Amino acid sequence: MSDAIMEQGSSTVVPAKRESLWTKAFQKFIRDKVGMISLSVVGLYLLIAILAWLGLIAQGWDELLADGQMGPTAEYWFGTNINGQDIFQRAIYSTKTAFEVGLTVAVVATITGALVGSTTGYFSGTWIDELFLWLMNCLDCIPYYLMVAAFAVALADNPYAMHIAMMSCFWMGTARLVRGEVIKLKNMEFTEAARSLGVPVYRVIFKHLLPNTSHILLVEMTLLFITAIKSEVILSFLGLGVKDSISWGLMIAEASGEVTAGYFCNFFASSGMLFVLVLAFNMFSDSLQDALDPRKI
Amino acid sequence: MYSIPLLFGVTLISFVLMVYFGPDKTYDLLGRNPTIEEINEIRHQLGYDQPFFVRYLEYIKEVLLFDFGYSDSTGEKVTSILAKTIPVSIALQLPGFILGNVLGILLALFAAMHRSTWLDKLIMSSSVVGMSISYLIVIITTQLIFCSSYGLNLFPVYGWEVNSLSDYLYYITVPTISSVFVALGYNTRFYRAVIVEETTRDHVRTAKAFGHSASTILFKHVLRNSLIPIVTRIVFSIPFVIVGGALLLESYFGIPGVGLTAYDAITTGDLPVLKAIIVLTTLMFILVVSLVDILYRVVDPRISLK
Repeated sequence: MSDAIMEQGSSTVVPAKRESLWTKAFQKFIRDKVGMISLSVVGLYLLIAILAWLGLIAQGWDELLADGQMGPTAEYWFGTNINGQDIFQRAIYSTKTAFEVGLTVAVVATITGALVGSTTGYFSGTWIDELFLWLMNCLDCIPYYLMVAAFAVALADNPYAMHIAMMSCFWMGTARLVRGEVIKLKNMEFTEAARSLGVPVYRVIFKHLLPNTSHILLVEMTLLFITAIKSEVILSFLGLGVKDSISWGLMIAEASGEVTAGYFCNFFASSGMLFVLVLAFNMFSDSLQDALDPRKI
Repeated sequence: MYSIPLLFGVTLISFVLMVYFGPDKTYDLLGRNPTIEEINEIRHQLGYDQPFFVRYLEYIKEVLLFDFGYSDSTGEKVTSILAKTIPVSIALQLPGFILGNVLGILLALFAAMHRSTWLDKLIMSSSVVGMSISYLIVIITTQLIFCSSYGLNLFPVYGWEVNSLSDYLYYITVPTISSVFVALGYNTRFYRAVIVEETTRDHVRTAKAFGHSASTILFKHVLRNSLIPIVTRIVFSIPFVIVGGALLLESYFGIPGVGLTAYDAITTGDLPVLKAIIVLTTLMFILVVSLVDILYRVVDPRISLK
């Protein structure tokens, strides 16, 4: 009998496992096979990017190693390009470039979008809101590629012209989404309670409202990462992208002249790497949405 | 009302970006070994020695008077350049745009009808795969398949000499295939999400309970009610289809459209052309916003009652 009492006592003493929405989402994500596989593919790419960034692999990407236009050999896995540079090393090193662009653009654009979106959402209907909506509409009016071209010309010598252009073009979508969510949230009781307790406005916005949109921000960040990588490829192809480095876009630009002559190595290596990364990230983003948004269909 | 601040903002942004910090044309207009006086003379002609606001007011005056003048690089009248290039861009993009959206809606309806069966999963996973392939790769691959001796070699790689319908089809096929391919993934996903959300509504359940056939429910109750987001997406993508979106296709297939003209104008600092294009896109955006309002009333009569 005392055992039973002890048992009962211990079961009440052990605190019940905390179950927040985040842990629920995490559990759901762990169980999602596609999500986990795609996450590990993205992780592999990230590892490659970090190793290349640390200078451990693929440092010979711009050395002239062998004859031009060699097919795949044991030494040069994907062959060499027209200058005799190793395509495999170039494709690997480009991973670093892609992550550099993707991460900086995604993080900065999401943060900007979050700040603007939450502020305009809280002050919806006032002149602050109107001002930012006007700014967003104006930026939306100018086609994206023309905007980037303008940035590239205006910041002629800056190697980060493309990054800056993307950051200033990509935050509007996030800002609109966050604004809508904040407008919904600010009419709820907890905001009312915080306000009536005398919490200052900036703390209401950034401590009570913005954290409640973090599921949107997380998904938006993954989507922006994909968009940034894909745009980088197209911009590099147009000659507006990365300079003094190598990227999949530059490799495709090189290859676009070669494929009609029958040299496919450069094209397949760069587009294959790009495709696998973007596909994995898309599927990861999907699983993340499934896990975070119970309403998603 | 809405359009005046918008035009003001767009001209301000475009002025700061494309003119104030844009390419310096001083040395393009000078001969070899210019003297200081010559340089100053040219800079004065171009207005580079004026303060910011004077130059901006000058710019806005030209924009408001539709005084675009002559292109700096070709000497052609800007309006005639636009009159030549815009129809080309529209002709290039329109078939792909329509097909991409129609096929997207049909696939989305089909997927939503067979929701969570293997058909739905197949369509959705192929659309994710389609979304993941870069536009550039699609263009190069379709060109390899259809235009080169490694593939079918049926269509031209480059150029635009359209005099008849068969010419048109001859030059349009491959660009259209690539643009449909790229658009289809995104469109199908978006439209399926919209349609599936509508199928979970109560009125659809009621219609089902009344014993309406599946196709009646799908077209009359689901599609009709999900038209608002569909119309918004289609209409808002029109300006970009006409001006911005065609840049890659045009540069790769050597088609003299407005996207390529705009790109060249920015990179070479062809100010008159640039101004015309900025005004054009802004006007188109304003037009689209009003068009959406009208279409909303057509699609959903409840809106005009409010």
